Amino acid sequence: MNSKIKFAGIFFLFISFFIVFYYALKSDTKNNTQIMVGTRLPNIQLSSLFNPIQKISLPSSEKENFYLINIWSSWCVPCRDEHPFLVKLKNEHQIKIFGINYKDKTSNALDFLTKLGNPFYYVGVDSDGSKSIEIGGYGVPETYVINAEGIIVFKHVGPINSTTFEKIVATIK
Amino acid sequence: MKNFLFLLIVFLLNQQNSFALFSQDREIKIYKNIRCLACQGQSLNDSNSDFANDLKKVIKEKLNNNETDQEIYTYLTARYGDWILFDPPVKKSTLLLWFFPVFILVIGIFILYKRTVFEKSKLS
Repeated sequence: MNSKIKFAGIFFLFISFFIVFYYALKSDTKNNTQIMVGTRLPNIQLSSLFNPIQKISLPSSEKENFYLINIWSSWCVPCRDEHPFLVKLKNEHQIKIFGINYKDKTSNALDFLTKLGNPFYYVGVDSDGSKSIEIGGYGVPETYVINAEGIIVFKHVGPINSTTFEKIVATIK
Repeated sequence: MKNFLFLLIVFLLNQQNSFALFSQDREIKIYKNIRCLACQGQSLNDSNSDFANDLKKVIKEKLNNNETDQEIYTYLTARYGDWILFDPPVKKSTLLLWFFPVFILVIGIFILYKRTVFEKSKLS
């Protein structure tokens, strides 16, 4: 009888360990950058790169079906690579893009836009990175698609490439 | 009277220092529990990356606004998920992780107790 109890105890412990390790192996231990997708964009206030007195609040109160938020900087090389895609999105799909200029020198940022074109409807300044943190940003570049209700429907960390471009186009259709 | 005033000033200055040390300890304790998501396996406290420095600034501001540790963690997990915390919060999916070791400990104590009682009864 005693050995039966011992056997049952060991068996129970073995099964318990198996369950714990099985779920530990299966669980997602990687960083999930999509946590904020499906939630409302937190409120942020930005002052304009072109005119610091002019301020706007996001989520936008304008009645747009969708709009884009792009975090960029002139010192960020991948931002240069993705820039033509932003220009294309603005020209071919008439989507409003709100830029957040991340920890940049104003003169360099203005120079960047003069040389590569300005696809942005509005460019706000994030001089200390706090605005990007507020919306769950990791760094530059980063792109969000926001719907009319202010919900984040798409988020991409890293530069836009042709695949991401297609995904954005499919989202805003 | 002069001596008393001198002692009072020393005491107050010392209190101020302890408070500063306490708030610095709290700040570091929070930094140590936050994973730098832009670095490999480093805490916010160990990292000097742009992302870590930005987060430190935001946390410092929240501490100055008298927000609790829990409020700060809630703010961060809402934006970056539970992965940003080194100590996972107690919730349904982590119940097993938190309480399984306690359960094993209780079983261990029970077995130990049983054995001791058994040995004692055998001796008597």
